[in-house]
Amino acid sequence: MKKGFKELCHYMDVTGQCIKMAFMTIIEYPSSIAGWLISNPLQFIMGFAIIKFVVESFGEINGWNYGQLAFLYGISVISHALSMIFFVQGWFMGYYVIYGDFDQYLTRPLGVLYQFFFTNINIFGITDLIPGIIVFIYGCAKCQLAITPLFLIQVIIMLVGATLIRGGIYILIGSTSFHTRSAVDFGQYTQEIMDKTTMYPISMYPESMQFILTYLIPVGWVSFYPVSALLGVENTVLNGLAVPFVTLAVGLVVMILAGAYFTSGLKKYESAGN
Amino acid sequence: MIKVENLSKDYLLKKKAPGLSGALKGLVKRNYEEIHAVKDLSFSIGEGEIVGFIGPNGAGKSTTIKMMAGILTPTNGSVYINGEDITKHRKEVVRNIGVVFGQRSQLNWDLRLGESFELLKHIYQIQQKDYEATLDVMDEILGIKELVDKPVRQMSLGQRVKGDLVAAMLHSPKVLFLDEPTIGLDVSSKFALRTFIKEINKIKKTTVILTTHDLGDIEELCERLIIINHGVMMEDGNLSQIVDRIAPYKTLVVEYYDEAAPEHARCEMIEHEGNIAKYKFMKQETTAAEIIADLSKEKNIKDVSIEEAGIDDIIKIAYGS
Repeated sequence: MKKGFKELCHYMDVTGQCIKMAFMTIIEYPSSIAGWLISNPLQFIMGFAIIKFVVESFGEINGWNYGQLAFLYGISVISHALSMIFFVQGWFMGYYVIYGDFDQYLTRPLGVLYQFFFTNINIFGITDLIPGIIVFIYGCAKCQLAITPLFLIQVIIMLVGATLIRGGIYILIGSTSFHTRSAVDFGQYTQEIMDKTTMYPISMYPESMQFILTYLIPVGWVSFYPVSALLGVENTVLNGLAVPFVTLAVGLVVMILAGAYFTSGLKKYESAGN
Repeated sequence: MIKVENLSKDYLLKKKAPGLSGALKGLVKRNYEEIHAVKDLSFSIGEGEIVGFIGPNGAGKSTTIKMMAGILTPTNGSVYINGEDITKHRKEVVRNIGVVFGQRSQLNWDLRLGESFELLKHIYQIQQKDYEATLDVMDEILGIKELVDKPVRQMSLGQRVKGDLVAAMLHSPKVLFLDEPTIGLDVSSKFALRTFIKEINKIKKTTVILTTHDLGDIEELCERLIIINHGVMMEDGNLSQIVDRIAPYKTLVVEYYDEAAPEHARCEMIEHEGNIAKYKFMKQETTAAEIIADLSKEKNIKDVSIEEAGIDDIIKIAYGS
């Protein structure tokens, strides 16, 4: 117990240093800040403008009104931003595998996966966070939600779970490179799929699709199921106030599976010849 | 300090037939070939030793050193550092090792060198007092303090390697692994690096294990050599022992006043060009003095010199077999 606590402190201490260095790196190249600050929020604000247009033209999407869609969109973008901050390195894992860049992590006394993500922590992801929070607050206001402590806990739990699901999926896909010995830049594709399945209610897709998104690639749990339950929009496979906690559970399961798959891959790691 | 037992590493290599038809065939039926990169290596290394791993490209040196540093998982066998198995207790064992691989860097490219050190200070939980003391020692040997405020991306290769060496030594590891550390360095950087290795070995009793193709590194640093070829250990011993075993001869070069050169019963004339003749003799059979005395009875000798079998001869012979 005491040992575990000491280890946690060690990891927190290193994380603090990594975040400090990430900020220093951003400051080192100030010109790129401006570009990101403009292009990233714009991308999501535009996306939301499209939803607004669609809803205003058709009234609602599959029983979801404008405010509820804004809430869903906000949650989706916030969890996307969090996964960008902590787990975006997963997109490039294949390159680390084939160029032997895991060597340095393996020779240091910390978890390899931890070092891989946190020494490369992507503070720029904050630029995605801002539009997400704006749209989310806007959605809360439109739905006239009462902000209670329970509600806040549910939202936070849901976001943690959603971020873990996204991160776990990046790790699972990235770890295939240990076995295939090739690097695939899958970031674009996954983001495309994730966006289309987490920003809108998945109940608008065919049932077979919904089955896949619920049980096989559990992205339905990132935003659709918990938000639907929280706002009481639709009757789905699971209803009730505990659904955000199910999201967290799904997130943990995906993460544990991803971690195990990564570890088994790391045993096959071949580094790169000198 | 380090014990390596029956260490082996196999790779599966995809065999591909040539051309488009070969590529298509490969899609349907995959042929794998098992490559034995390292075969059944066993040896141990004591505290404070400097050991050089040498062998041609692809001999298995890097694979061996990477298994010893916990980067690659051995197919068979184990590596014990300070009595602990590195595969089973990676996180604990790597606290005792430092690693520098010549073509790779663990430094943060974008920031000043000092930030990379700072991160390592947190990773290895180094006390401020020890951290400063180590940096002082490193500054004395390598003059690292004048580099600390320079961004790594603006450094020359020589400066970057210095940075990496210090980064690997910050937590005062008992064992330092160096994979081709002098590759691409100029003469003065090589000199600085060799001085560094000798100094930390003397001051901190650090065990150093390095692979190299540089004969200068071997001559100046390595008391012990392990020669590897085709994944098998060919030789293990100190330099002069290996020279005596593999190349137990010397070459005597004699210059005469004219072109006629006499033969000698106990040595072999291996070259004769103009006034100069070269004789190869076995060290334990005879001495240069004896041969010179005999030869000078037959002809007048103008000049003599003796060539010892050098490391390059050793390597040529060892690699050839």
